[in-house]
Amino acid sequence: MRKTYLIVTSLLASLTANAAPNPEMILVCYPGGAVNAKDANAAMSSMLRVVERIGQWQENSFTSLFTAKADECKKQIADKHPKFAITSLGLYLELRSQHNLVPVVQPKIKGQSSERYRVIVQKDKYKNLDQLKGKAVGGTVLEEPSFISKIVLAGKYDLAGFNLKPSNQAIRALRSLDKGELDAVILNEQQFNGLASLQMSKPLEAIFTSEQIPLMGVVANSTTTTTEERLRFGQALEGMCADSEGKKLCDLFGVEAFASVDTAVFEPMIKLWTDGK
Amino acid sequence: MNKLKLFFTISLLVFLNSCALFQKDYVQFDEALNCPEQTTANLLAAQNQLGYLSKTETLACALTALRKTEDVTLRRSALASRLCLHLAERETDQNKREKFADEGVGFAEAALKSGGTGDGEVHYYLAANLGLEVREHITLAINNLARLENELKQAVELSPDLDDSGPLRVLGMLYLKAPAWPNGIGDRDKALDLLVRAVNNHPKHPLNHLFYAQALWDDEGSEATLSRVKAEFAIGEKLLTEGNWGYNQEVWKKEFDEFAKEFGQSESLDK
Repeated sequence: MRKTYLIVTSLLASLTANAAPNPEMILVCYPGGAVNAKDANAAMSSMLRVVERIGQWQENSFTSLFTAKADECKKQIADKHPKFAITSLGLYLELRSQHNLVPVVQPKIKGQSSERYRVIVQKDKYKNLDQLKGKAVGGTVLEEPSFISKIVLAGKYDLAGFNLKPSNQAIRALRSLDKGELDAVILNEQQFNGLASLQMSKPLEAIFTSEQIPLMGVVANSTTTTTEERLRFGQALEGMCADSEGKKLCDLFGVEAFASVDTAVFEPMIKLWTDGK
Repeated sequence: MNKLKLFFTISLLVFLNSCALFQKDYVQFDEALNCPEQTTANLLAAQNQLGYLSKTETLACALTALRKTEDVTLRRSALASRLCLHLAERETDQNKREKFADEGVGFAEAALKSGGTGDGEVHYYLAANLGLEVREHITLAINNLARLENELKQAVELSPDLDDSGPLRVLGMLYLKAPAWPNGIGDRDKALDLLVRAVNNHPKHPLNHLFYAQALWDDEGSEATLSRVKAEFAIGEKLLTEGNWGYNQEVWKKEFDEFAKEFGQSESLDK
Protein backbone atom coordinates (compact mmCIF):
# COMPACT_ATOMS: atom_id res chain seq x y z
CA MET A 1 0.00 0.00 0.00
CA ARG A 2 1.16 3.44 -0.82
CA LYS A 3 1.55 4.91 2.59
CA THR A 4 0.64 1.99 4.74
CA TYR A 5 4.15 1.97 6.12
CA LEU A 6 3.83 5.62 7.13
CA ILE A 7 1.03 4.67 9.42
CA VAL A 8 3.37 3.31 11.97
CA THR A 9 6.58 5.02 11.05
CA SER A 10 4.78 8.26 11.77
CA LEU A 11 3.13 7.28 15.02
CA LEU A 12 5.42 9.67 16.71
CA ALA A 13 5.29 12.12 13.85
CA SER A 14 6.36 15.67 14.48
CA LEU A 15 3.57 18.14 14.95
CA THR A 16 5.53 20.86 13.25
CA ALA A 17 4.33 24.39 12.91
CA ASN A 18 5.92 27.71 12.19
CA ALA A 19 9.10 28.08 14.18
CA ALA A 20 9.74 31.02 16.47
CA PRO A 21 12.68 33.15 15.28
CA ASN A 22 15.32 31.71 17.64
CA PRO A 23 13.97 28.68 19.44
CA GLU A 24 15.77 27.72 22.63
CA MET A 25 17.26 24.27 22.34
CA ILE A 26 16.46 21.77 25.08
CA LEU A 27 19.00 18.99 25.14
CA VAL A 28 17.48 15.60 25.93
CA CYS A 29 19.92 12.92 27.03
CA TYR A 30 18.54 9.43 27.55
CA PRO A 31 21.58 7.18 27.86
CA GLY A 32 20.76 3.62 26.83
CA GLY A 33 17.33 4.58 25.58
CA ALA A 34 15.76 2.34 22.95
CA VAL A 35 14.44 5.12 20.76
CA ASN A 36 15.93 6.85 17.77
CA ALA A 37 16.51 10.57 17.69
CA LYS A 38 13.92 11.30 15.02
CA ASP A 39 11.09 9.63 16.93
CA ALA A 40 12.20 11.03 20.27
CA ASN A 41 12.40 14.57 18.95
CA ALA A 42 8.90 14.21 17.56
CA ALA A 43 7.58 13.16 20.97
CA MET A 44 9.56 15.93 22.64
CA SER A 45 8.14 18.40 20.17
CA SER A 46 4.64 17.55 21.36
CA MET A 47 5.72 17.92 24.97
CA LEU A 48 7.34 21.28 24.35
CA ARG A 49 4.21 22.62 22.66
CA VAL A 50 2.31 21.86 25.86
CA VAL A 51 5.01 23.42 28.03
CA GLU A 52 4.97 26.55 25.86
CA ARG A 53 1.22 26.81 26.16
CA ILE A 54 1.20 26.37 29.93
CA GLY A 55 4.16 28.69 30.42
CA GLN A 56 2.68 31.21 27.95
CA TRP A 57 5.65 31.26 25.64
CA GLN A 58 5.15 31.80 21.95
CA GLU A 59 4.59 28.50 20.13
CA ASN A 60 7.85 26.92 18.99
CA SER A 61 9.92 28.96 21.41
CA PHE A 62 11.70 25.69 22.23
CA THR A 63 13.14 22.93 20.17
CA SER A 64 14.73 19.67 21.28
CA LEU A 65 17.86 17.76 20.49
CA PHE A 66 17.78 14.13 21.56
CA THR A 67 20.56 11.64 22.07
CA ALA A 68 20.72 8.19 23.65
CA LYS A 69 24.52 8.32 23.81
CA ALA A 70 26.20 9.69 26.92
CA ASP A 71 29.27 10.86 24.97
CA GLU A 72 27.13 12.68 22.43
CA CYS A 73 25.28 14.37 25.27
CA LYS A 74 28.52 15.65 26.78
CA LYS A 75 29.62 16.95 23.39
CA GLN A 76 26.34 18.77 22.81
CA ILE A 77 26.40 20.41 26.22
CA ALA A 78 29.97 21.56 25.62
CA ASP A 79 29.28 22.81 22.08
CA LYS A 80 25.80 24.27 22.34
CA HIS A 81 25.56 25.37 25.98
CA PRO A 82 21.82 24.72 26.30
CA LYS A 83 20.01 26.66 28.99
CA PHE A 84 17.95 23.60 29.93
CA ALA A 85 18.51 19.90 29.55
CA ILE A 86 16.80 16.66 30.44
CA THR A 87 19.52 14.35 31.66
CA SER A 88 20.14 11.21 33.61
CA LEU A 89 21.39 11.54 37.16
CA GLY A 90 24.77 10.21 36.07
CA LEU A 91 25.23 12.90 33.47
CA TYR A 92 24.11 15.59 35.87
CA LEU A 93 26.64 14.43 38.45
CA GLU A 94 29.40 14.27 35.91
CA LEU A 95 28.70 17.61 34.24
CA ARG A 96 27.24 19.75 37.02
CA SER A 97 30.44 21.54 38.02
CA GLN A 98 31.79 22.09 34.55
CA HIS A 99 28.51 23.44 33.16
CA ASN A 100 26.97 24.93 36.30
CA LEU A 101 23.98 22.62 36.20
CA VAL A 102 21.23 22.88 38.79
CA PRO A 103 18.18 20.61 39.05
CA VAL A 104 14.86 22.29 38.21
CA VAL A 105 12.20 19.58 38.42
CA GLN A 106 12.07 15.88 39.19
CA PRO A 107 9.61 13.39 37.75
CA LYS A 108 7.28 11.47 40.03
CA ILE A 109 6.60 7.87 39.19
CA LYS A 110 4.12 5.95 41.30
CA GLY A 111 4.24 8.71 43.86
CA GLN A 112 8.00 8.50 44.23
CA SER A 113 10.76 10.87 43.16
CA SER A 114 13.40 8.26 43.80
CA GLU A 115 14.04 4.73 42.69
CA ARG A 116 16.07 1.65 43.44
CA TYR A 117 18.17 -0.32 41.01
CA ARG A 118 18.32 -4.07 41.17
CA VAL A 119 20.60 -6.80 39.94
CA ILE A 120 18.45 -9.65 38.64
CA VAL A 121 19.51 -13.26 38.12
CA GLN A 122 17.85 -16.59 37.45
CA LYS A 123 16.45 -17.78 40.77
CA ASP A 124 18.96 -19.64 42.94
CA LYS A 125 21.74 -19.36 40.36
CA TYR A 126 23.74 -16.71 42.23
CA LYS A 127 23.38 -15.46 45.75
CA ASN A 128 25.29 -12.17 45.72
CA LEU A 129 27.37 -9.83 43.60
CA ASP A 130 30.62 -11.48 44.60
CA GLN A 131 29.48 -14.63 42.82
CA LEU A 132 28.98 -12.60 39.65
CA LYS A 133 32.67 -11.69 39.34
CA GLY A 134 33.77 -12.45 35.79
CA LYS A 135 30.18 -13.17 34.73
CA ALA A 136 28.19 -11.53 31.94
CA VAL A 137 26.08 -8.65 33.24
CA GLY A 138 23.74 -6.73 30.94
CA GLY A 139 21.28 -3.88 31.00
CA THR A 140 20.48 -0.52 29.49
CA VAL A 141 21.84 1.28 32.52
CA LEU A 142 25.35 0.10 31.66
CA GLU A 143 25.52 2.93 29.12
CA GLU A 144 26.68 4.86 32.20
CA PRO A 145 29.13 2.55 34.00
CA SER A 146 30.48 5.26 36.32
CA PHE A 147 26.97 5.95 37.58
CA ILE A 148 26.41 2.26 38.26
CA SER A 149 29.73 1.90 39.97
CA LYS A 150 29.68 5.07 42.09
CA ILE A 151 25.99 5.54 42.80
CA VAL A 152 24.08 2.28 42.32
CA LEU A 153 26.77 0.08 43.80
CA ALA A 154 27.89 2.95 46.05
CA GLY A 155 31.54 2.35 45.19
CA LYS A 156 31.52 -1.03 46.94
CA TYR A 157 32.08 -3.18 43.87
CA ASP A 158 34.53 -2.72 41.04
CA LEU A 159 32.70 -2.98 37.72
CA ALA A 160 35.92 -4.06 36.08
CA GLY A 161 35.35 -7.38 37.77
CA PHE A 162 32.25 -8.06 35.71
CA ASN A 163 31.95 -8.85 32.03
CA LEU A 164 29.72 -5.93 31.07
CA LYS A 165 27.28 -6.28 28.17
CA PRO A 166 25.51 -2.93 27.68
CA SER A 167 22.29 -3.00 25.71
CA ASN A 168 19.80 -0.41 24.54
CA GLN A 169 16.91 -2.81 25.05
CA ALA A 170 16.05 -4.02 28.51
CA ILE A 171 13.66 -6.65 27.18
CA ARG A 172 16.37 -8.18 25.02
CA ALA A 173 18.76 -8.30 27.95
CA LEU A 174 16.10 -10.06 30.00
CA ARG A 175 15.48 -12.59 27.25
CA SER A 176 19.23 -13.25 27.18
CA LEU A 177 19.12 -13.73 30.94
CA ASP A 178 16.25 -16.17 30.54
CA LYS A 179 18.21 -18.15 27.95
CA GLY A 180 21.32 -18.15 30.11
CA GLU A 181 23.30 -15.98 27.69
CA LEU A 182 23.64 -13.38 30.42
CA ASP A 183 24.19 -14.15 34.09
CA ALA A 184 22.61 -10.98 35.43
CA VAL A 185 20.81 -7.84 34.33
CA ILE A 186 20.73 -4.50 36.12
CA LEU A 187 17.30 -2.88 36.05
CA ASN A 188 15.98 0.48 37.10
CA GLU A 189 12.71 0.73 39.03
CA GLN A 190 10.43 1.07 36.00
CA GLN A 191 12.02 -1.93 34.34
CA PHE A 192 11.84 -3.98 37.51
CA ASN A 193 8.16 -3.15 37.95
CA GLY A 194 7.55 -4.21 34.36
CA LEU A 195 8.90 -7.73 34.93
CA ALA A 196 5.47 -9.03 35.86
CA SER A 197 4.24 -8.32 32.34
CA LEU A 198 6.87 -10.59 30.77
CA GLN A 199 6.63 -14.29 30.32
CA MET A 200 9.96 -15.82 31.21
CA SER A 201 10.61 -19.52 31.24
CA LYS A 202 12.67 -19.33 34.42
CA PRO A 203 11.86 -17.43 37.62
CA LEU A 204 14.03 -14.43 38.36
CA GLU A 205 15.11 -12.80 41.58
CA ALA A 206 16.99 -9.75 42.74
CA ILE A 207 20.29 -10.40 44.49
CA PHE A 208 21.11 -6.76 44.97
CA THR A 209 18.90 -3.74 45.63
CA SER A 210 20.38 -0.27 45.76
CA GLU A 211 19.60 2.46 48.21
CA GLN A 212 16.99 5.02 47.16
CA ILE A 213 18.39 7.13 44.32
CA PRO A 214 16.67 10.38 43.31
CA LEU A 215 15.13 10.52 39.87
CA MET A 216 16.61 13.16 37.63
CA GLY A 217 14.49 15.41 35.46
CA VAL A 218 15.29 18.81 34.07
CA VAL A 219 18.46 20.73 34.83
CA ALA A 220 19.41 24.30 33.97
CA ASN A 221 22.67 26.10 33.46
CA SER A 222 22.67 28.48 36.40
CA THR A 223 24.92 31.03 34.70
CA THR A 224 22.94 31.37 31.46
CA THR A 225 19.47 31.27 33.02
CA THR A 226 17.92 33.60 35.55
CA THR A 227 16.05 32.46 38.63
CA GLU A 228 12.85 33.69 36.98
CA GLU A 229 13.49 31.64 33.84
CA ARG A 230 14.13 28.51 35.85
CA LEU A 231 11.03 29.11 37.93
CA ARG A 232 8.85 29.72 34.88
CA PHE A 233 10.13 26.64 33.07
CA GLY A 234 9.78 24.52 36.18
CA GLN A 235 6.25 25.69 36.85
CA ALA A 236 5.23 25.00 33.27
CA LEU A 237 6.52 21.44 33.64
CA GLU A 238 4.79 21.05 36.98
CA GLY A 239 1.53 21.91 35.25
CA MET A 240 2.09 19.56 32.38
CA CYS A 241 0.69 16.33 33.75
CA ALA A 242 -2.43 18.15 35.00
CA ASP A 243 -3.11 19.46 31.50
CA SER A 244 -5.45 17.26 29.44
CA GLU A 245 -3.08 16.99 26.48
CA GLY A 246 0.02 17.01 28.67
CA LYS A 247 -1.31 14.13 30.77
CA LYS A 248 -1.33 11.86 27.74
CA LEU A 249 2.30 12.69 27.11
CA CYS A 250 3.16 12.13 30.76
CA ASP A 251 1.49 8.72 30.46
CA LEU A 252 3.60 8.07 27.39
CA PHE A 253 6.75 8.82 29.36
CA GLY A 254 5.51 6.81 32.33
CA VAL A 255 5.54 9.90 34.54
CA GLU A 256 2.62 10.96 36.72
CA ALA A 257 3.91 14.43 37.60
CA PHE A 258 6.88 16.76 37.65
CA ALA A 259 7.68 18.33 40.99
CA SER A 260 10.00 21.12 42.09
CA VAL A 261 13.33 19.98 43.39
CA ASP A 262 14.65 19.85 46.90
CA THR A 263 18.35 20.11 46.10
CA ALA A 264 19.22 18.46 49.40
CA VAL A 265 18.21 15.08 48.00
CA PHE A 266 21.10 15.28 45.56
CA GLU A 267 23.75 16.06 48.16
CA PRO A 268 24.40 12.42 49.14
CA MET A 269 24.66 11.57 45.42
CA ILE A 270 27.17 14.35 44.84
CA LYS A 271 29.21 13.07 47.76
CA LEU A 272 29.13 9.49 46.49
CA TRP A 273 30.13 10.69 43.04
CA THR A 274 32.94 12.86 44.31
CA ASP A 275 34.27 10.25 46.72
CA GLY A 276 33.53 7.29 44.53
CA LYS A 277 35.79 5.11 42.49
CA MET B 1 -54.41 13.32 15.17
CA ASN B 2 -53.06 10.17 13.66
CA LYS B 3 -51.91 12.14 10.63
CA LEU B 4 -50.20 14.62 12.88
CA LYS B 5 -48.48 11.83 14.76
CA LEU B 6 -47.39 10.21 11.51
CA PHE B 7 -46.06 13.53 10.22
CA PHE B 8 -44.16 14.06 13.44
CA THR B 9 -42.67 10.57 13.31
CA ILE B 10 -41.58 10.94 9.71
CA SER B 11 -40.11 14.37 10.41
CA LEU B 12 -38.17 12.97 13.33
CA LEU B 13 -36.81 10.12 11.25
CA VAL B 14 -35.77 12.48 8.48
CA PHE B 15 -34.11 14.74 10.99
CA LEU B 16 -32.27 11.89 12.69
CA ASN B 17 -31.21 10.51 9.36
CA SER B 18 -29.85 13.87 8.26
CA CYS B 19 -27.99 14.16 11.55
CA ALA B 20 -26.44 10.77 10.97
CA LEU B 21 -25.32 11.78 7.51
CA PHE B 22 -23.91 15.03 8.84
CA GLN B 23 -21.97 13.19 11.54
CA LYS B 24 -20.42 10.89 8.96
CA ASP B 25 -19.00 13.93 7.19
CA TYR B 26 -17.63 11.97 4.28
CA VAL B 27 -15.40 13.54 1.70
CA GLN B 28 -17.71 14.53 -1.11
CA PHE B 29 -16.59 13.87 -4.65
CA ASP B 30 -16.82 16.29 -7.54
CA GLU B 31 -20.34 16.29 -8.93
CA ALA B 32 -18.85 16.33 -12.40
CA LEU B 33 -17.46 12.88 -11.75
CA ASN B 34 -18.88 10.85 -14.56
CA CYS B 35 -19.27 7.47 -12.96
CA PRO B 36 -20.51 4.46 -14.89
CA GLU B 37 -23.41 2.63 -13.35
CA GLN B 38 -22.03 0.27 -10.76
CA THR B 39 -23.72 -2.96 -9.85
CA THR B 40 -22.83 -5.38 -7.13
CA ALA B 41 -21.66 -7.79 -9.79
CA ASN B 42 -19.45 -5.09 -11.40
CA LEU B 43 -17.86 -4.21 -8.12
CA LEU B 44 -17.27 -7.78 -7.09
CA ALA B 45 -15.74 -8.57 -10.45
CA ALA B 46 -13.50 -5.50 -10.45
CA GLN B 47 -12.42 -5.52 -6.82
CA ASN B 48 -9.03 -7.08 -7.45
CA GLN B 49 -8.23 -4.52 -10.13
CA LEU B 50 -8.92 -1.57 -7.83
CA GLY B 51 -5.58 -0.65 -6.35
CA TYR B 52 -2.53 1.55 -6.51
CA LEU B 53 -2.55 1.53 -10.31
CA SER B 54 -6.19 2.68 -10.54
CA LYS B 55 -7.09 6.24 -11.41
CA THR B 56 -8.40 8.28 -8.52
CA GLU B 57 -11.69 8.84 -10.35
CA THR B 58 -12.15 5.10 -10.69
CA LEU B 59 -11.67 4.61 -6.97
CA ALA B 60 -14.00 7.51 -6.20
CA CYS B 61 -16.75 6.04 -8.36
CA ALA B 62 -16.40 2.63 -6.76
CA LEU B 63 -16.51 4.14 -3.29
CA THR B 64 -19.56 6.21 -4.16
CA ALA B 65 -21.34 3.02 -5.12
CA LEU B 66 -20.13 1.20 -2.03
CA ARG B 67 -21.45 3.95 0.23
CA LYS B 68 -24.93 3.11 -1.01
CA THR B 69 -24.75 -0.64 -1.31
CA GLU B 70 -26.74 -2.93 0.90
CA ASP B 71 -25.13 -6.03 -0.56
CA VAL B 72 -24.07 -8.27 2.28
CA THR B 73 -21.07 -9.75 0.49
CA LEU B 74 -19.67 -6.32 -0.27
CA ARG B 75 -20.38 -4.94 3.18
CA ARG B 76 -18.66 -7.91 4.78
CA SER B 77 -15.59 -7.53 2.58
CA ALA B 78 -12.58 -5.22 2.99
CA LEU B 79 -13.11 -3.60 -0.40
CA ALA B 80 -14.60 -0.28 0.76
CA SER B 81 -12.05 0.04 3.54
CA ARG B 82 -9.24 -0.67 1.07
CA LEU B 83 -10.52 1.95 -1.37
CA CYS B 84 -10.71 4.51 1.43
CA LEU B 85 -7.10 3.77 2.27
CA HIS B 86 -5.99 4.22 -1.35
CA LEU B 87 -7.85 7.51 -1.57
CA ALA B 88 -6.52 8.67 1.78
CA GLU B 89 -2.99 7.90 0.76
CA ARG B 90 -3.32 10.00 -2.35
CA GLU B 91 -4.88 12.91 -0.55
CA THR B 92 -2.53 15.77 0.26
CA ASP B 93 -5.03 17.68 2.42
CA GLN B 94 -4.70 16.32 5.97
CA ASN B 95 -8.33 16.91 6.87
CA LYS B 96 -9.64 15.05 3.85
CA ARG B 97 -7.05 12.32 4.29
CA GLU B 98 -8.20 11.70 7.83
CA LYS B 99 -11.83 11.69 6.75
CA PHE B 100 -11.13 9.01 4.15
CA ALA B 101 -9.21 7.01 6.74
CA ASP B 102 -11.99 7.43 9.29
CA GLU B 103 -14.50 6.22 6.73
CA GLY B 104 -12.25 3.26 6.02
CA VAL B 105 -12.20 2.38 9.71
CA GLY B 106 -15.98 2.60 9.76
CA PHE B 107 -16.35 0.31 6.76
CA ALA B 108 -14.00 -2.24 8.31
CA GLU B 109 -15.83 -2.13 11.62
CA ALA B 110 -19.10 -2.64 9.79
CA ALA B 111 -17.56 -5.55 7.91
CA LEU B 112 -16.52 -7.15 11.19
CA LYS B 113 -20.03 -6.72 12.54
CA SER B 114 -21.42 -8.27 9.38
CA GLY B 115 -19.42 -11.43 9.87
CA GLY B 116 -16.03 -10.49 8.42
CA THR B 117 -14.04 -11.36 11.53
CA GLY B 118 -12.38 -14.29 9.81
CA ASP B 119 -11.13 -12.13 6.97
CA GLY B 120 -7.55 -10.98 7.54
CA GLU B 121 -7.94 -8.29 4.92
CA VAL B 122 -10.64 -6.56 6.99
CA HIS B 123 -8.37 -6.48 10.06
CA TYR B 124 -5.45 -5.27 7.96
CA TYR B 125 -7.30 -2.37 6.36
CA LEU B 126 -8.92 -1.45 9.62
CA ALA B 127 -5.47 -1.08 11.16
CA ALA B 128 -4.06 0.66 8.10
CA ASN B 129 -6.83 3.25 8.03
CA LEU B 130 -6.75 3.71 11.79
CA GLY B 131 -3.02 4.27 11.70
CA LEU B 132 -3.37 6.80 8.93
CA GLU B 133 -6.14 8.60 10.78
CA VAL B 134 -4.18 9.04 14.00
CA ARG B 135 -0.64 9.36 12.72
CA GLU B 136 -0.48 13.15 13.06
CA HIS B 137 -1.94 13.07 16.56
CA ILE B 138 0.64 11.54 18.85
CA THR B 139 -1.49 10.96 21.92
CA LEU B 140 -4.34 9.58 19.85
CA ALA B 141 -1.83 7.29 18.17
CA ILE B 142 -0.51 6.09 21.50
CA ASN B 143 -4.04 5.46 22.74
CA ASN B 144 -4.68 3.26 19.72
CA LEU B 145 -1.48 1.21 19.85
CA ALA B 146 -3.11 -1.78 21.51
CA ARG B 147 -5.94 -1.82 18.99
CA LEU B 148 -3.53 -1.49 16.08
CA GLU B 149 -1.47 -4.36 17.44
CA ASN B 150 -4.55 -6.52 17.97
CA GLU B 151 -5.92 -5.96 14.46
CA LEU B 152 -2.54 -6.50 12.83
CA LYS B 153 -1.87 -9.66 14.80
CA GLN B 154 -5.16 -11.05 13.53
CA ALA B 155 -4.21 -10.01 9.99
CA VAL B 156 -0.85 -11.76 10.37
CA GLU B 157 -2.60 -14.86 11.65
CA LEU B 158 -5.26 -14.93 8.94
CA SER B 159 -3.57 -13.44 5.86
CA PRO B 160 0.19 -13.06 6.26
CA ASP B 161 0.76 -12.85 2.50
CA LEU B 162 -1.76 -10.12 1.85
CA ASP B 163 -0.25 -7.05 0.14
CA ASP B 164 3.11 -8.82 -0.21
CA SER B 165 3.44 -9.43 3.53
CA GLY B 166 1.66 -6.20 4.42
CA PRO B 167 0.49 -7.41 7.84
CA LEU B 168 4.00 -8.61 8.74
CA ARG B 169 5.54 -5.40 7.43
CA VAL B 170 3.18 -3.03 9.22
CA LEU B 171 3.13 -4.95 12.49
CA GLY B 172 6.92 -5.10 12.32
CA MET B 173 7.11 -1.34 12.01
CA LEU B 174 4.60 -0.91 14.79
CA TYR B 175 6.89 -2.87 17.11
CA LEU B 176 9.87 -0.91 15.87
CA LYS B 177 8.37 2.53 16.37
CA ALA B 178 6.12 2.12 19.39
CA PRO B 179 7.45 3.05 22.84
CA ALA B 180 9.50 0.14 24.11
CA TRP B 181 8.96 -2.06 27.14
CA PRO B 182 8.22 -1.34 29.94
CA ASN B 183 6.33 1.76 28.76
CA GLY B 184 4.84 0.34 25.57
CA ILE B 185 4.52 -2.51 23.10
CA GLY B 186 7.69 -1.60 21.19
CA ASP B 187 9.97 -4.60 20.76
CA ARG B 188 12.85 -4.69 18.31
CA ASP B 189 13.24 -8.45 18.50
CA LYS B 190 9.65 -8.91 17.38
CA ALA B 191 10.10 -6.20 14.74
CA LEU B 192 13.16 -7.88 13.27
CA ASP B 193 11.49 -11.27 13.32
CA LEU B 194 8.45 -10.02 11.40
CA LEU B 195 10.43 -7.93 8.93
CA VAL B 196 12.88 -10.65 8.06
CA ARG B 197 9.88 -12.91 7.40
CA ALA B 198 8.40 -10.22 5.16
CA VAL B 199 11.63 -9.98 3.19
CA ASN B 200 11.96 -13.74 2.86
CA ASN B 201 8.33 -14.35 1.93
CA HIS B 202 7.99 -11.44 -0.50
CA PRO B 203 11.43 -10.32 -1.58
CA LYS B 204 10.13 -8.32 -4.53
CA HIS B 205 8.37 -5.69 -2.46
CA PRO B 206 10.61 -2.61 -1.98
CA LEU B 207 9.18 -1.64 1.39
CA ASN B 208 9.95 -5.01 2.91
CA HIS B 209 13.63 -4.28 2.30
CA LEU B 210 13.42 -0.64 3.39
CA PHE B 211 11.70 -1.52 6.65
CA TYR B 212 14.08 -4.36 7.35
CA ALA B 213 16.97 -1.96 6.73
CA GLN B 214 15.42 0.52 9.16
CA ALA B 215 14.97 -2.16 11.81
CA LEU B 216 18.57 -3.30 11.42
CA TRP B 217 19.79 0.26 11.56
CA ASP B 218 17.77 1.02 14.69
CA ASP B 219 19.21 -2.04 16.34
CA GLU B 220 22.50 -2.27 18.16
CA GLY B 221 24.63 -2.18 15.04
CA SER B 222 27.94 -3.80 14.30
CA GLU B 223 29.92 -3.18 11.11
CA ALA B 224 28.38 -6.32 9.63
CA THR B 225 24.92 -5.02 10.44
CA LEU B 226 25.65 -1.69 8.79
CA SER B 227 26.69 -3.36 5.58
CA ARG B 228 23.47 -5.40 5.72
CA VAL B 229 21.48 -2.17 6.14
CA LYS B 230 23.12 -0.76 3.02
CA ALA B 231 22.51 -3.96 1.09
CA GLU B 232 18.82 -4.15 2.01
CA PHE B 233 18.36 -0.48 1.20
CA ALA B 234 19.98 -0.95 -2.19
CA ILE B 235 17.79 -3.95 -3.03
CA GLY B 236 14.65 -2.06 -2.07
CA GLU B 237 15.62 1.04 -4.00
CA LYS B 238 16.34 -1.00 -7.11
CA LEU B 239 12.98 -2.75 -6.86
CA LEU B 240 11.24 0.59 -6.48
CA THR B 241 13.01 2.15 -9.42
CA GLU B 242 12.51 -0.78 -11.76
CA GLY B 243 8.96 -1.73 -10.78
CA ASN B 244 5.61 -0.24 -11.70
CA TRP B 245 4.23 0.91 -8.36
CA GLY B 246 1.73 3.42 -9.71
CA TYR B 247 0.64 6.05 -7.23
CA ASN B 248 2.90 4.46 -4.60
CA GLN B 249 6.09 5.28 -6.45
CA GLU B 250 6.45 8.92 -5.49
CA VAL B 251 5.69 8.55 -1.79
CA TRP B 252 7.84 5.47 -1.37
CA LYS B 253 10.68 7.29 -3.09
CA LYS B 254 10.41 10.04 -0.48
CA GLU B 255 10.62 7.44 2.27
CA PHE B 256 13.73 5.93 0.76
CA ASP B 257 15.25 9.40 0.42
CA GLU B 258 14.41 10.32 4.01
CA PHE B 259 15.98 7.17 5.36
CA ALA B 260 19.03 7.65 3.14
CA LYS B 261 19.41 11.14 4.53
CA GLU B 262 19.00 10.00 8.13
CA PHE B 263 21.34 7.10 7.64
CA GLY B 264 23.89 9.26 5.83
CA GLN B 265 23.83 11.90 8.53
CA SER B 266 24.36 9.32 11.22
CA GLU B 267 27.26 7.76 9.36
CA SER B 268 28.99 11.09 8.97
CA LEU B 269 28.47 11.77 12.69
CA ASP B 270 30.17 8.53 13.55
CA LYS B 271 33.26 9.32 11.48
